[in-house]
This record gives sequence, structure tokens and C-alpha cells, in this order.
Amino acid sequence: MPFPLAALGVLAALVAAGPAVAQQRQVTLVNQGGAPAEAQRVAVFEPFTRETGIRVVVDTYNQELARLRSQIETKNLIWDIVSLNPINEAAGCEEGLLEKIDWKQYIPAKPFEAVGGFGACGAPYLISPGVLAYDSDKLKGDQAPTSWQDFWNVEKFPGKRGMLYQPDQMLEVALIADGVAPPDVPKVLTAPGGVDRAFRKLGEIKPHVKWWRSGDESMQLILTGEVTMGYGWQGRVLAANATNKRNLKIVWPAGYVNAIIYLGVMKGTPRKDDAIKLIQYNLSTPAMARYADIMGLPPANADTYPLLSEAKRADLPGQYLDRGMMQGGSTYINFWLDNGDAIRQRFATFVAQ
Amino acid sequence: MLALMAPSVVFVCLVFVLPIALFLFRAVDNSDVPRALPKLALVIGTWNDGELPPEPVYRALVADLTVLRGSPELAILARRLNYALPGFRGTLTRTGRMLPASDVPSAKDALIAVDAKWADPEIWAVLRQQSGPVTDFFLLTALDRKRDVAGDIVPVAGDQAIFIDLYGRTLWVSLGVTLFCVILGFPIAAAMARATPATANWMLLGVLVPFWTSLLVRTTAWVILLQNEGLVNRALIWLGVLDTPLQLVFNRTGVYIAMVHVLLPYMILPLYSVMKGIQQSHLRAASSLGASPLRVFFTIYLPLSMPGVVAGATLVFVSAVGFYVTPALVGGPRDQMIGYFISYFTNSAVNWGLASALGAFLLLLVAITYLILGKLVGFDRLKVR
Repeated sequence: MPFPLAALGVLAALVAAGPAVAQQRQVTLVNQGGAPAEAQRVAVFEPFTRETGIRVVVDTYNQELARLRSQIETKNLIWDIVSLNPINEAAGCEEGLLEKIDWKQYIPAKPFEAVGGFGACGAPYLISPGVLAYDSDKLKGDQAPTSWQDFWNVEKFPGKRGMLYQPDQMLEVALIADGVAPPDVPKVLTAPGGVDRAFRKLGEIKPHVKWWRSGDESMQLILTGEVTMGYGWQGRVLAANATNKRNLKIVWPAGYVNAIIYLGVMKGTPRKDDAIKLIQYNLSTPAMARYADIMGLPPANADTYPLLSEAKRADLPGQYLDRGMMQGGSTYINFWLDNGDAIRQRFATFVAQ
Repeated sequence: MLALMAPSVVFVCLVFVLPIALFLFRAVDNSDVPRALPKLALVIGTWNDGELPPEPVYRALVADLTVLRGSPELAILARRLNYALPGFRGTLTRTGRMLPASDVPSAKDALIAVDAKWADPEIWAVLRQQSGPVTDFFLLTALDRKRDVAGDIVPVAGDQAIFIDLYGRTLWVSLGVTLFCVILGFPIAAAMARATPATANWMLLGVLVPFWTSLLVRTTAWVILLQNEGLVNRALIWLGVLDTPLQLVFNRTGVYIAMVHVLLPYMILPLYSVMKGIQQSHLRAASSLGASPLRVFFTIYLPLSMPGVVAGATLVFVSAVGFYVTPALVGGPRDQMIGYFISYFTNSAVNWGLASALGAFLLLLVAITYLILGKLVGFDRLKVR
């Protein structure tokens, strides 16, 4: 066959294959990538595709709400399902970026009550605790911190501290260090003077802080000894231990900040039904148990706990549930939506001084 | 000729001039507010003093909110007005939920009953300032200024003032980086220009390979090299130069090191091409007339290579001004540049008006620098050859 004809043949084959590929059902989900995304692929998406034949394409983003809005405004939807932090779930829902879905129709509501239940648009699928972590090979016995007060005590525990370069989570931690019981933090923070109190407390530790911006960086700081102890997300601590064979330790009784992560459906997606089907599957007890087994993050579905292995349960806050501060509730969310910009600006000035 | 040029002119207009113009317009565009509150925009001008507005203004707001109730437009309006007055979002969404009927005897009393903030002249001053089709709000914010209740321009509170410092820092770091690039790049380019073709090729490859490597890879590599337990500190401690590790990263030093490394090729390449064109006979003539090597350099070689220095410095400076990934990764919180906040307001905060205003001033900064540079060394020398 002469060359042009061969090319034509290839073209014809491609054209023939095109519709077949397009006919296969698929949904596109976006999350924050990294180890949690890999766990979700293995525990949820692959079995889901095997059972339903619906392919799951995964993309990553960094909770930038602008990327949802630009897709909606240009009517060019790339994503169908979005993983959202509590503030973005509320804002995206109000501003018409997400479908309003009555999740009670699809998923039993009871097991999700402990994490505040379903949102108007999103369904909670996991909890991401932000914790006090340190290297237990370097700090032993009474050298090891047991509270956020210890974290603030640079005399007894010399060295730098790793903290997240953003006010939400850090103001909350500062209040815990200032003696507020974790469940009371939302009330104290949103009350008049709460923000000032948190900034005052942060000011005490500020000269000793190395601020980090990504989960990887937070663990790198502790692993290399740049900081003596640091704030970090539990999933990252477990992943850092697993990949580096190290013994970073979480101080659960010190208190921790729980971010609830939601799944929501993009407004106007033609694949809404399949998207709901995937979220339903993702939140089901067996899928959540598989996910928790790999990732070690507390599942949002309370029915999952009995299915977890003994070892995994040991990684979870377990008996220290009352030491967790929940980033949720309408007062708390509205507080951040109203004051977030001003507080973030204040934080940036505060840190740079 | 004209017909041949047309496609490229159209192309440049479409992908370059038009987007920049649109983006600059966003810095003053305020059409969202009058579109969402058309009735209010018509009557709010009737209110002029520090007192509370008259009943028709309250009534117009109720009428506008009745149309918006429960729609995404209300939430977007609330977000927009919240930029000007933190807490406005809450007031507006709450009012949207508990809106009084449009035939209440007094819309004023009804609104104040829903939220006492409607009795605060400040909220009305904000509404009046923000109800026109264009606004100077974002431009003022980008300069740490705002309008008070009376409409006068005043500085924002100290804990909110952030951008002027950032512009200063951006300018300062960029100038520093440019200076280091000239100092480091000049001898390398000169050596390349004088080397045999084979050696020059190898040297060129040494310049180009990092140039072709991803910015992110190079920046991350510097973090690994420079951190406390990194190669550089370990080597210095092992050699006995240091006892404790030197803080080389997550501060200004790290930013300079990484940025100079990333931008050095932009200095070397134009400089090399200019130096390559310098006639060796000029230098020989100067020496044969008795000039010392130092004099040859300062009166012949340096002036002849000046166009390359200027071209390279312009390229480096303009690129450095827009940097944000590198300072974000290797700098501390005191080393963030304006680009970081433009990206933050574009992507995370979705405050595109402010992002545009910040970008507009950055563009202005570059333009002013270019004009100063042009005045100092002559515009004909600013060309890259």
C-alpha cells in the first residue's frame, strides 16, 4: 500500500474508534492529588469501574474556587465531581457553582451525623485532622511534646516550629494553645475579640516558626530536622512514615483541627446521574473502609469504624475524639466567608513583620 | 506588504493587546453591582449626607433583593460587597433569607429589624460608592487606600496594609537579582565570546541545559541543596568551614540564589551575541596605541558590550518582577513578591478585580523602569540584537 493510502487507513481506523471511545461512560473527578488521591483510586474508583463500567478520570487542583467558576462561566465543564473543603462547599453552593442535591435520598444520613451531616450541595467523605507531630526518634521521654503549650514553649523544647502559611487552622491552633478546649474553638474564634486573641497568641511563637505551604513541605521540615515539631495533616504524617520508614508521632491529646472534606457535583454537568452514583459508592461503608485502611484517615461514615483493622484504628484519634475541633457549623463557615479576606490580609502582614 | 503583515497584526491584537486591555478593564469594572441592584442604583444618588437614607432607598433595595432572592447572583453580589466591608456578605445573605414583603408600611424599619447593620451609615456609604458602573475601589485597595464614609481617600488600617510593601520588595529583589546577573553573567559571556568555537559550544550547552530544565525542578533542587541538612551545608561542615549549618534557604539569600540561577541565561545569551560581534581589531588597535588592558576594557570593550548588558538586564528585570513560584518555594514569608498575591487573588480568593488592579500597577512599574532605563542609556540601545 502506498504511503498516503496507509495514512488514510490509519485515519479511517481512528474515526471508527472515535465513537466507540466516546460511548464509554465516564466521569471526571478532581481532588488534591498526592497519597490520598492514590488511595481513593485503588479503594474506590477501580472497584467502581469494575462494577458499573463507568470510567473515572482524575484531575488535581488546590481548592481554587476560581477554577470551578471559570468552567461554569465559559460553559465548558471539564470536571463533574469536585472535592471541597467546608468553606468552598458553602461558597460554591451559594454562588451556583455546584448542584444542590438532597443527599438523604441517595445515602443513609445517620452515619454522617457525627461530622455535621450533608451540606446543601456536598456530601462529606473524609475527615482530615491537622495535628501536632514530631520525630519520636529525636525527641524521647520528657523531651517529647504532649500539648500545644509545649509547642509554644521554646525554652523547654528549643528549635524551630513548622506551621501552615494561612490563618484558617492556625488561628484555631493558637486558641487551643491559649487554653481553649478544642470543641469550644469555633465559638471563641467567632466571638468579638477572638481573632485578636488568636493573633496575640500566634505572635508569641512567630519568631520561631517556619511557615510551610504544601503538605509535602510540612513533613520535609520535620524529617530533615529543620523544625523540632510541626503542625501537619494526619494523612501526610502516615504517608511520610510509610515511605521513609520513620517514626513521626502524632500528639492526639494536645488537640487537633478537623477539616471535613466534601464531594460535590458541578452545576449543569450532563453526567449528573453518574456523578451521584460515584459519590454514593464512594461514601458506602465498604469503600470507605478500604480507603481508611490504605490512607488511615478517619472516615466520615461512622459505620466504617468497626470494619477497620486493629492497627488502623490505632492510628485514628479514637479515645481523643473530644480533643478534636470541627471546622464546620454555619456560624463558623459564615464567619470565614465574611471575614476570611480581611483575616488573610492581616495574616500576611502579621507574618511578614 | 500590508496584506502579508495583516495576519500577524491581527494575531497580536487578538492574543496580546485585547486580553491585556480586558484584564486592565477588570480593575475598574463594577457592572456586577448596578446590574444586580438596578433600582437601588437609580435612587441611592438622592441620599447625600451621613444620615440614614430615605424610605424610597430602602424600598428599592427590598425590591431588588426580592428579584435576587435565592439566586447565585445574590451570593456573588454579597462576595463582591464583602471586599469593601467585611461582614457585608453575612448581612446581605441573611437579609435575602428573611426579606420583608414589598408592601410593608416601612421598608426601613423592616430591614433594620432583619439586621441592625441596615441602620449603620457605613453600609450605605459603601453601597453608594459601589453602585456605579466603574469603581476605583480595587485600584485604591492595591495601593493600601480606601474611601471613608465621607468619600475621602484614606490609608487602610495598619494590619491590612500590605501591597505597597510588596511592590517595594518586588522592585528591590528584582533589582538585586539583575545586578547579580550582570556581575556573574558578564565574565562568563566574555569568556565564551573569546573561546575557540568548540569550547564556546560546550560552554553554551552548559548555559542552555539549565535554561531548558523546568523552573520547578531547578527551584526544588535548590531547596534540597541549600537546606540545613543539604549538600552545601554538610560539605561546609565536613570541611570544617562551619560548625552549625548556615541558613541558606527559606530566606532572602535562598531567593537570590535561586532566582539568579534561573535568570542567568537571559543575561548571558544577549550579552554573548553582542560580545561575539565586537571586532577584536578594535581592542588590538587600542593596545597598540599604548592603552593599558584596564583602559582597553573600560573605553572600548565595556561601551561596545553595553547594548548586551542593557538588553540582558531588561530581560532579567522584567522576568524577575513577575516571579512568584521561586520566592514561594525558597523564600520565607518576608520574601513573597507581588506575583504570589496576584495568583492568590486570581485563583483562591476569586477577587479578579483586585488581581487586575495589582497587575495593572505591576505593568506600570515595569513601564516606568523601562522609561528610566531608556532615558539613562538611550532607547536605541534597549533592542535585543
